[in-house]
Amino acid sequence: MASLKKRGAGRQLHGGKVAYAVLILFTIGSLFPLVWTAIAASRNNTRLAETPPPFWFGGNLFKNLEIAWTDANMGTALINTLVVAGTITVGTVLFSTLAGFAFAKLRFRFRGLLLLLVIGTMMVPPQLSVVPLFMMVAEFGWTDQLQSVILPTLVSAFGVFFMRQYLIEALPTEVIEAARVDGASSLRLIWHVVFPAARPAMAVLGMLTFVMAWNDFFWPIIALTQGGEPTVQVALAGLGRGQIPDQSVIMAGALLGTLPLLIAFVLFGKQIVGGIMQGAVKG
Amino acid sequence: MRYRTRTSRTAVVLAAVTTLAAGLLAGCAEDSDEDEPGGSSGGGGGGKGKTTLTVGVFGAFGLQEAGLYDEYEKLNPDINIKQNSVQRNENYWPALLTHLSSGSGLSDVQAVEVGNIAELTGTHASKLVDLGKTSGVDKNAYLDWKWQQGTTDDGKTIGLGTDIGPTGICYRKDLFKKAGLPTDREAVGKLWAGDWSKYLDAGKRYQKKAPKGTAFVDGATGVMAAVHASGKEKFYDAEGELIYQDSAGVQEGWDLAAQFAEAGLTAKLQQFQPSWDQAFSNGSFATVTCPPWMLGYIKDKAGDKGEDQWDVAAAPKPGNWGGSFLTVPEAGKNKEEAAKLVAWLTAPKQQAKLFDKRASFPSAEAAYGLPEVKDAKNPYFGDAPVGQVFAKAAEGVPVQPIGPKDGIISQYLADTGMLGVDQKGTSPDKAWDKAVKTIDNALDQ
Amino acid sequence: MTDIPSDTRTAAPSTGEEGAAPRARAVAALDPAAERRRARRSRRYRWDMKWSPYALIAPFFLFFIAFGLFPLLYTGWASLHRVELGTPTDMEWVGLRNFSRLLEDDFFWNALRNTFTIGIISTVPQLVMALGIAHLLHYRLRGSMFFRVAILTPYATSVAAATLVFVLMFSRTDHGMINWALGLIGVDAVDWQNGDWTAQFAVSSIVIWRWTGYNALIYLAAMQAIPNDLYESAALDGASRWQQFRHVTIPSLRPTILFTCVVSTIGATQLFGEPLLFSQGASPTGGSDHQFQTLGLYLYEQGWFNQHLGRSSAIAWTMFLILVLIGLVNWAISRWIRRSA
Repeated sequence: MASLKKRGAGRQLHGGKVAYAVLILFTIGSLFPLVWTAIAASRNNTRLAETPPPFWFGGNLFKNLEIAWTDANMGTALINTLVVAGTITVGTVLFSTLAGFAFAKLRFRFRGLLLLLVIGTMMVPPQLSVVPLFMMVAEFGWTDQLQSVILPTLVSAFGVFFMRQYLIEALPTEVIEAARVDGASSLRLIWHVVFPAARPAMAVLGMLTFVMAWNDFFWPIIALTQGGEPTVQVALAGLGRGQIPDQSVIMAGALLGTLPLLIAFVLFGKQIVGGIMQGAVKG
Repeated sequence: MRYRTRTSRTAVVLAAVTTLAAGLLAGCAEDSDEDEPGGSSGGGGGGKGKTTLTVGVFGAFGLQEAGLYDEYEKLNPDINIKQNSVQRNENYWPALLTHLSSGSGLSDVQAVEVGNIAELTGTHASKLVDLGKTSGVDKNAYLDWKWQQGTTDDGKTIGLGTDIGPTGICYRKDLFKKAGLPTDREAVGKLWAGDWSKYLDAGKRYQKKAPKGTAFVDGATGVMAAVHASGKEKFYDAEGELIYQDSAGVQEGWDLAAQFAEAGLTAKLQQFQPSWDQAFSNGSFATVTCPPWMLGYIKDKAGDKGEDQWDVAAAPKPGNWGGSFLTVPEAGKNKEEAAKLVAWLTAPKQQAKLFDKRASFPSAEAAYGLPEVKDAKNPYFGDAPVGQVFAKAAEGVPVQPIGPKDGIISQYLADTGMLGVDQKGTSPDKAWDKAVKTIDNALDQ
Repeated sequence: MTDIPSDTRTAAPSTGEEGAAPRARAVAALDPAAERRRARRSRRYRWDMKWSPYALIAPFFLFFIAFGLFPLLYTGWASLHRVELGTPTDMEWVGLRNFSRLLEDDFFWNALRNTFTIGIISTVPQLVMALGIAHLLHYRLRGSMFFRVAILTPYATSVAAATLVFVLMFSRTDHGMINWALGLIGVDAVDWQNGDWTAQFAVSSIVIWRWTGYNALIYLAAMQAIPNDLYESAALDGASRWQQFRHVTIPSLRPTILFTCVVSTIGATQLFGEPLLFSQGASPTGGSDHQFQTLGLYLYEQGWFNQHLGRSSAIAWTMFLILVLIGLVNWAISRWIRRSA
């Protein structure tokens, strides 16, 4: 991380016209489906069955958004997803920082073994645990309640590994030793030394976790089957199944489900890009 | 400086921890809220003595919309009714199964679709209350086949029928006229009365002079389902043996639907998808199989443009498409009150009201003579006497054995079989083999 | 968020304002009360040193064991049983039958094949394009931050939302956006969903759209880490931009490329949401011919549609073994690269 500044200079070459042209094309390709979602959401089902497809906004946007909000349950879904993704993000960041610090800087028995366990399960696909999770959730009577999607994703092995890697470098061991010599308790140490040092990485991990939790699909559609308390993705899957067979309403739902993250990207784009690039260098 | 960073950090961490705690608490709170089977306030010593009954349904079931809960609450001031509705049965049913097996998360009353009722009578009957013994329930008021579907082999009636879906054929008068076919509903019915192959012949006639951009039917899968519903046997025989591969009715449906596809008489659509809806408003097909509830759907989708264009005639052979049951789980807290509610909701009088308000056709034969049914006309469909049309169809619906996996079999026959014939031009034999393979794989535990 | 190091160092020594243990030692050596206090404090200190690591990892491991490790192992147990969705507690031992039947299960092999081909046609163009875009972004550009944010927006779009939009754009008839565009250049409307390759291509295009920008940023980050003198000396040798890209950029990026390959492969192996929602009515069969049914989708179909949780578990474990295999291959390749470098 420390060397980021130095290498920031990178290459000094200026981009030519071709570079701009390609990048602009690619940007259009990236943005077009989203813009077109909004266009389609502002039309009606019949218009979307005509040729050529619409390229400008129609007058039905608010009507369709309203139908999606109520009939497709997107309103409840957005609030639920906020609760779910928010809780998961806080849990993951907090617990990952604590455990990551312990693995990075403290000595205790079985440290190597436990770390190996964490790293070993990092790449295990979620498919491998859905069947028992589903049985557990059914057994506890949690189906269709938000804790069924919060609790299983509240911690992440990747998060622990990520924080450990970061803290090994970012938190000099001498600083900890100095604090210990001063008689600082572990609580004080974490509060005054670890958290400040870990803050940038916590922000990156938090952002990655939030986006992931917001967009999580596989487990939620299994756990929240009845659709009474959907997350955004569950509600969208319902639209995909044909719950409201109206393309313009489906697009309005997709728009509603994407908008919050899009707004965040517009507001914090620079930080998010920086975070992903830093995360990449670490990971 | 340092002070400031510290407070902001404190604030952030506090906020974070609060969020976490609130999230977890919210989860737990909900948990304790809905944990007790049979709904919240229960009969407990609340003092007020009001019992809240919960009713779990899927889709727009109609009981609430028709005002039946309100009416029941007025008749029984100490009862409160709360409905939990799930949009799609595909989501509702697996969840209901898991709730039944764990005995938690259940409503006092649970609706069950006809495609799933056999799985309940077959393997989960012990978890449901026998409603046949509830006072006020008269077996003879119901269509016999409907009653039997909700009853186990040893005579325990776990589900009381709400509605049924006797089928007719909805058709476009304007398109029929342009294609040189009769438009009067009697004459149209005679065109194909008694034989599905006559329906195919009518399609061929239509195609010769078909208005541009229109097809005779919506899709081959719809035709197949309609024929399957009208046969003596479908996927199981009376002994409960799986016979879908050899059943004459299944074969007839498959062959006929394939002929529709190969002759190009279909609009290649899959039902309940956006393109199907679009086709209603564009008027790109002339006929569709119609249970009573489909009339409302068509009116919704075809809109003002379709006013007075649609009519409904008798099907070549009537079948049953859809319909539901109400059950009472044993794990519920208010079993007796729930059973009373179910008995009232499914009584002929209430079923007639439901038909009047929501076009759900009664499964209680005794309702057919009531004025709400007998005199019912549908203005959007040229004042068709829908009560009589469908009552007649209901009499002709065959008593068809149903089985636990009916739903899966019919979906695979369509999705991995007939759909390919219709949309891709796969040869019917090849598609059949594929569908059979998929079904066998799905049924093999 | 970028100035990490300086921040760390200033914030770190914030302790010690009151915890004056060492100083106290000198002053209060003879005072018995202080002595006791000191002993108590040091006892507490030792206790703290010994147990706090466990306290720190405890919350993580509590959840991890309950919702990560236990389910993982239990899936293995369930895969050896006949378990049905309706009666999950009623398990019947069947040994390895759920695995052995996979060998002759055409749907499994079909899903494996599809997962593989969709994986290839989504991963390869995605990474190649990402590399090219990263290269361009590495130039000095006006509005470079705008480009970076813009190409990352698909990453903010969920699988479900993206797929619903692409389904509409890939509509069968000529009113679909893509068929309409093809029509402009004289190509007949394509029935994307019903063709084997067309469907796989369409599903892959969703993956490509969502992840290319993200990977481009990752490559860009790695490119910025390449020391400038490498380029300078290459330029002195008269290397063109293209030659610099080939002989300086690509070799330096090897570890990153390998990393993105692994991550994309893992993602591709688990592909689920895109093929599920791409079919009409979100049928788990992946088209009428199972033409785009992936392993993840087949697992879902067996478990939650056909209601065979045991068979579903066996597919999950097989998937895991495949991932382990991929991991081993990756490890071998990276060793080989390191040795040859």
